[in-house]
Amino acid sequence: MRSERKFFMFLLVFPIISFIIVAGIIFSLIYTSFPIFLKEGLRFIVTAVWNPPKEDYGILHAIVGTLITSGLAVGIATPLAISLAVFSIELVPTKLRDVINSLSDLMASLPTVIYGLWGLYVFAPLLHQYVMLPLHEYLGFIPLFSTKPSPTNLFTAGTLLAIMVIPFSSSVIREAYEAVPQGLKEAAYSIGMTQWEVIKVMTGYIKSAIFAGVILALGRAMGETIAVAMVVGNTPTLPKSLFDMGYTVSSLIANQFPNAESYDYMVAALFGGAFLLFLIGLAINILGLRLVRKVVTQR
Amino acid sequence: MIARKVKNKIMIGLIGLLAIVSAAPLFAIIASIYVNGARIISPRFLVDFPPPPLGGSDGGIGPALVGTLILMALSILIGGGLGLFTGIFLSEYGHHILSHYTRLSLQIMVEFPTVIIGLFAYAVLVLPLRSFNAFAGAFALAIVIIPYVALQVREAYASIPYSLKEAAYSLGVSPFVVNLRILLSVARRGVATALLVGLARAAGETAPLLFTILGTTLSYFEGLDKPIGAVPLLIYNFALSPYERWHEVAWGAAAVLLTIILALFIVTRSLVKEVKL
Amino acid sequence: MRWAVDVRNLNVWYGLKHVLKNVSLRIPRNMVFAIMGPSGCGKSTLLRAMNRLLELNPLAKVEGEVWINGVNIYSDEVDPMDARRLAGMVFQVPNPFPHLSIYENVALGPKLNGIVRSKKELDELVEWALRKAYLWDEVKDELKKPAARLSGGQQQRLCIARTLALKPKIILMDEPTANLDPVAASKIEELMLELKEDYTVVIVTHNPQQAARVSDYVAFLYMGEVIEVGETSNVFTTPKHELTEKYVVGKMG
Repeated sequence: MRSERKFFMFLLVFPIISFIIVAGIIFSLIYTSFPIFLKEGLRFIVTAVWNPPKEDYGILHAIVGTLITSGLAVGIATPLAISLAVFSIELVPTKLRDVINSLSDLMASLPTVIYGLWGLYVFAPLLHQYVMLPLHEYLGFIPLFSTKPSPTNLFTAGTLLAIMVIPFSSSVIREAYEAVPQGLKEAAYSIGMTQWEVIKVMTGYIKSAIFAGVILALGRAMGETIAVAMVVGNTPTLPKSLFDMGYTVSSLIANQFPNAESYDYMVAALFGGAFLLFLIGLAINILGLRLVRKVVTQR
Repeated sequence: MIARKVKNKIMIGLIGLLAIVSAAPLFAIIASIYVNGARIISPRFLVDFPPPPLGGSDGGIGPALVGTLILMALSILIGGGLGLFTGIFLSEYGHHILSHYTRLSLQIMVEFPTVIIGLFAYAVLVLPLRSFNAFAGAFALAIVIIPYVALQVREAYASIPYSLKEAAYSLGVSPFVVNLRILLSVARRGVATALLVGLARAAGETAPLLFTILGTTLSYFEGLDKPIGAVPLLIYNFALSPYERWHEVAWGAAAVLLTIILALFIVTRSLVKEVKL
Repeated sequence: MRWAVDVRNLNVWYGLKHVLKNVSLRIPRNMVFAIMGPSGCGKSTLLRAMNRLLELNPLAKVEGEVWINGVNIYSDEVDPMDARRLAGMVFQVPNPFPHLSIYENVALGPKLNGIVRSKKELDELVEWALRKAYLWDEVKDELKKPAARLSGGQQQRLCIARTLALKPKIILMDEPTANLDPVAASKIEELMLELKEDYTVVIVTHNPQQAARVSDYVAFLYMGEVIEVGETSNVFTTPKHELTEKYVVGKMG
């Protein structure tokens, strides 16, 4: 048995390394952020203040910013992702489908800093001029649009995130759509449904996959750092409208890190933010899995 | 009935429109990067030191490019290697209870926002060494790469027909030889794809580098225990700076980075096509 | 060592399913020994117990002894690798390594095992193996061709050459002609008769006529148990057991 045993022992090292890495990451988050929770307790999470000289840190504005931008991203991305998936399957010849899939994969492979650069100097000004200003002018009475917009703000970040997140959502939905049994499609057509009505039926059938796509998109959007940091405005105030500049937890970490070592508690505060980000992400994934399972068993 | 047909046409049209809107940014991004970047790229651009903020027309991304190449090599060595063997473990011992937890572990690793991985490397390698260093950057990148490579390698090995595994073992060689010489060769396209995808991530990731390498622009390479530059980090820093000249350099650097990514993407695609045959 | 293979009280489980029940079998040297029986009776499992390929299946549990060349290959001192060099195997669906050439397929085993000391020796070994497998004349001019491009029958002979190149004592064949056309199949059967001069050939077959054609001794396996063993001529003309008779006459699946 010697060579088999040796092989197993050798390979065993590697899964153990991944356990150590995961445990190490979580542990270092808790350990390094401990001082800030000790000092501020829950205040850290429920107040919005960033005053390094006074060592006063509260990341509520960042949490709110994360929720707003990610929510916006998923809200915009989901119908687009579904459309892209359905389009590639229903409305184009099979040869083109591979091309579209490749394009989608390419979108997913682009480095975020490239999205950020384009977002900052090309997309933001366009969004500002053609979407945000008009919305503010005509619909400014709605609280959502009530701030006079500058090019970089939560709205820009959310929209840019939507663009980045579409390919991930879309590929999950596409796989599920392709896997729908042929019989369902044929049955729908055979009772005289139009293509649109058939599509409605099919997408209803893959509801759980669409949920999964949403969860995936949400997770990615919340974790996204660089592109967001470049277009979100990086202002430590609690946002009142979509057009306010703000922070997300991850952009806060990226943006404030260069200063961090000059202060006593900032490093801990940033790690605290990271730890919260991890917890939120975990919660969403678990919630998402539960939701998906519920939808699946309901069928 | 006519109303339904009209609605059908409208909705189908809408779907098409939304799909095009979804895909359009890709072209817009690639176009604007090359248009803006082409203005500034030259062979010297790839080699020169960056210009001063208000500086003249010379200058380039030499140190950052070298830094990225070094980081890519180091991180694919560490991350690719660890990922490869983890993937083989998952395929060879997939039924083992440990495999289940390993896959869970890899799932969690894949979903860590890369900021967190960067912070981890900072805590573990930068703080103790009291200096930003290249190794910490490579370490962080490796962690990003491991789960992708592991899961893809597992796929590649798992899709080897059982009959070929039996044939390999029947040659009377050890499991090391079977898995690392024979089966690796059989699955080499899948493994190569995994490594290329890892390489692309190593080239383009920025957050893991923010907290680890500092991003020097003053020298090509000072040692693994010293700071180093990298292209994505340069783009990030220069784009956010207030200097017009540096913005130009950022566009040029983005064009270089995009080219690297596109090249890797195309090679990966062509490999996958052959695997499918 | 009168026997090439001596199976003693072999029990095999796949998970909870008891697949081989107390199987004992003695296979004499230098002959073709056939193991026959209906689908699912455990014959392929029995064959794989003889070169410890069985344990590649994580669900398999083995108890008992298999003695080859005076060694119990299931004893703790024996590394499975060594058992597989003693007994080479040819599989039901020809499985040459598709990414390797004809030459490389035969050369791989000897190379990895360090059997030869020079390229010249390797070339000679490859040629010898291909000749012995009745394949040399058909491929000698295109040794670099990928193995995947050969016909089914040629691929199977290539697999036999691959096995021969390792100079095993025993050649195990798991329904080697089941996926081949009759012409290719008969070539392989001819080959078997020749191979028994130098090797002990154990063949599993689901086709009683094939067993009758090629084997000197035959064992009939049914639902994991050995029902009857003996000289082929005896078993087929005067079967002792009712089940054997049914099988031999063709009244069983």
